[in-house]
Amino acid sequence: MRVMAQMAMVMNLDKCIGCHTCSVTCKQAWTNRSGTEYVWFNNVETRPGQGYPRGYEDQEKWKGGWTLNRRGRLALKGGGRLQKLATIFSNPKLPSISDYYEPWTYDYSTLTDAPAQKHTPVARPKSLITGKNINIAWSANWDDDLGGSIDHGHKDVMLKNIADKVKFEFEQTFMFYLPRICEHCLNPSCAASCPSGAIYKRAEDGIVLVDQDRCRGWRMCVSGCPYKKIYFNHKTGKAEKCTFCFPRIEVGLPTVCAETCVGRLRYIGLMLYDADKVLEAASTTDDHGLYEAQRGVFLDPNDPTVMREAEAAGIPRDWILAAQRSPIWALINTFKVALPLHPEYRTMPMVWYIPPLSPVVDIVRDTGHDAEDGENLFAAIEALRIPVEYLAELFTAGDTAPVDAVLRRLAAMRSYMREINMGRLADESLAAAVGMTGVEIQDMFRLLAIAKYDERYVIPPAHAEQAHSLEELATECSLDLEGGPGMGGSGPFGEGSGVPTPIAVENFQMLKDRQTSDSVVETDHRRGRTNLLNWDGKGKPPGLFPKSHDNKPKDDSAQSDSPGADS
Amino acid sequence: MPKLVVVERDYGAVAAKMAAVGPLMDTLGATTKGVTFTLDKEINYLRQKNGTVRGGPADGRPSLARDVDACEAILAMSGTTNGHLATQGFETLEKRTGVKLADLAAEHEGKRITFADTQGPPVPVITSPEWSGSEAGGRRYSPFTINVERLKPWHTLTGRMHFYLDHDWICELGEGLPVFRPPLSMSALFGEPKIGQTGEMGPGGELGVTVRYLTPHSKWSIHSEYQDNLFMLSLSRGGQTIWISKEDAAKVGIHDNDWMEAVNRNGVVVARAIVSHRMPEGTVYMHHAQDRLIDVPIAETSGQRGGIHNSLTRLMIKPSHLIGGYAQLCYAFNYLGPTGNQRDEVTMIRRRSQEVQY
Repeated sequence: MRVMAQMAMVMNLDKCIGCHTCSVTCKQAWTNRSGTEYVWFNNVETRPGQGYPRGYEDQEKWKGGWTLNRRGRLALKGGGRLQKLATIFSNPKLPSISDYYEPWTYDYSTLTDAPAQKHTPVARPKSLITGKNINIAWSANWDDDLGGSIDHGHKDVMLKNIADKVKFEFEQTFMFYLPRICEHCLNPSCAASCPSGAIYKRAEDGIVLVDQDRCRGWRMCVSGCPYKKIYFNHKTGKAEKCTFCFPRIEVGLPTVCAETCVGRLRYIGLMLYDADKVLEAASTTDDHGLYEAQRGVFLDPNDPTVMREAEAAGIPRDWILAAQRSPIWALINTFKVALPLHPEYRTMPMVWYIPPLSPVVDIVRDTGHDAEDGENLFAAIEALRIPVEYLAELFTAGDTAPVDAVLRRLAAMRSYMREINMGRLADESLAAAVGMTGVEIQDMFRLLAIAKYDERYVIPPAHAEQAHSLEELATECSLDLEGGPGMGGSGPFGEGSGVPTPIAVENFQMLKDRQTSDSVVETDHRRGRTNLLNWDGKGKPPGLFPKSHDNKPKDDSAQSDSPGADS
Repeated sequence: MPKLVVVERDYGAVAAKMAAVGPLMDTLGATTKGVTFTLDKEINYLRQKNGTVRGGPADGRPSLARDVDACEAILAMSGTTNGHLATQGFETLEKRTGVKLADLAAEHEGKRITFADTQGPPVPVITSPEWSGSEAGGRRYSPFTINVERLKPWHTLTGRMHFYLDHDWICELGEGLPVFRPPLSMSALFGEPKIGQTGEMGPGGELGVTVRYLTPHSKWSIHSEYQDNLFMLSLSRGGQTIWISKEDAAKVGIHDNDWMEAVNRNGVVVARAIVSHRMPEGTVYMHHAQDRLIDVPIAETSGQRGGIHNSLTRLMIKPSHLIGGYAQLCYAFNYLGPTGNQRDEVTMIRRRSQEVQY
């Protein structure tokens, strides 16, 4: 047994109202830079719908994730190292910008600068790629609320197996929202696809990150990720992805998307798992067995053996306690209502979902029946196969049994709690019908409906013995940071030596620099160095050439963006 | 007949007066929903907080020179952000109603929410007579809980919930009790084409279809947030749109994202089509308050800027809307006016030239 800890998320889809607050706050925090205009680490897609980028789930087309080869061994669907090497300079399995969308902005200044004219001025859309007027024909969320379903609905990859049953008719309408971030998989195919070894899974909490110094921009990770949650920054020429907001997680704060979620549908917590079992679980022959196989990888944090092994593996005591209190453990294992997104990709994803009961409830209610009644709901789950089969395509590789079981538990809870709210006697047979006791139903209700911030997000902070944070926070001058008056900068032997600046204590000036700078190159002239590996080939970062003595020193902020424009 | 008061204006002094808290606050206080708040303490507080105007028409008054000053004044003068006022208001209301209320705000009597407080995390408001719900003890707001649980009389003739309105005009219209009223026939009243009819419209005689036109709120705008920032536009269609059923779209050759023109007797709208099976045949909707400054071209029909959701709507008034000065049937801004009957409109809609001009 090799115990490892994984930071994981569960989203309760019944609560998602599709407001996109998570997407907007995430983008504002992480990808509001040039080169990442089209990048949405977090997006919310309407299902049925194509998602973002469109049709990303079609692995016959994109070859993302893992597959079992003829010998039953796990292999990258996109091909192994040899094939990667052979196609390294022309990787055809990439979504093009038209699969994402051509990002745009508006000439807002017209609204205030336009001269007196016959018509009131309007801001026209301008492409962020060409700078020219654009006829908007696709966006990051074109099919929101089933918009354009007549032209595009059938392109939903999930409909392939149930196309004859899903009719895009008004009377049969159902929909729900699916918010997505990086899955921070236990068996990440993006990392396995990278020829440079730039993608790594952090040992302490399992967060998957791209090392910006090692990334060479081959984009094999974009192809390799079946969820298409790695994006190529076309300004820096490097891959970027959702970081699970690790600077926030390290200090015990939830991710930006979870913190700002209006519906409070996200849960964050630790899962302990046996790293030795991952490969075997991911190699499960039957796609339908992958959900249970992944559950089998998780370790019970209350088991004394597991606790002992975890401590032996160097997992701090308070992390083990946090794993015991983890809402993720409760939702996946105790209550068994959370399911993984596309287990058939065999990456062992770690952002799980509670499938929505609302498509069923809505139909029961719209037909004039009591949508809080347990018998009605159970019968509807039996009868309404279309939403259930669709959910199974997403969460259980098409196996409807686990989805049925979850929906029945949610229905039982709804009905059981209604009786209590109405001051009537609770119906214990409802709980028994789904294999639970009334007390368990009430505990589940508490976690799903009442749980406050500190119970939805059980995040132990990073440890001093694991990071340099304590040293940086407590034993050094708090202003002794890059860009701060202490001007600590890098260590005495150049970049890579000394202690990195913790991003959690990034100061305002650095944040502003990072968000407004055109390049990832550190422009602080005091450091007098340029990391050529990070240089995007544009402009002339200070330090690239020795200072000219003929001219007066140039202002750093005035560096040109076009090569050779001033020399 | 309402009470009319002559107000003399010195227009040269308006700007200076607008930038200060006026003197009538001292003597009249402020009244909302029938409860008058005495503001002497708050006026003095604002003098300290914002500073005092020296010289000019507002000499000696609390300053409202800056945006933050105005925010501080609002926060100081509302019971929801000033526990002292909330308690004072409930005490006033206790005398009027004879039921115990002041304890709802007493837990926060010394609390004051300032502008600086609102810049940090969200701050829960204080239970106040300005609203009908209670948030005492950390409970979530729900309307009318004070009426239901504390037996505060409802603001009606009887002090109870009213379903029956015994006003002569209302009885004459047969609406003393809530009744179903079908949508008005716009074709009979105003000569609009019948719903479902197709016919020639537009400069080239293009085919148009007549549909019911609704303007609901969208899921992500109005009151708490706007949809018209760049991120939200990138997560939708990037401009104003009208949702239309596949049946209606097929009748007149409209495809998803086509430019359309909707025309009725009130005006013209140019918008893009969202064709979806989510819409029932015969009805289109255009989300309320999309931004007319974002990508709205010139209309072919009028030669004017394309128009907004309200270009096609118009209020219609019937006698019952004109009742006033009668118990709960009194006019107040935003509280009793014509109901939302302008949201029940018809329009003819067609595919327009896809070469739009700005």
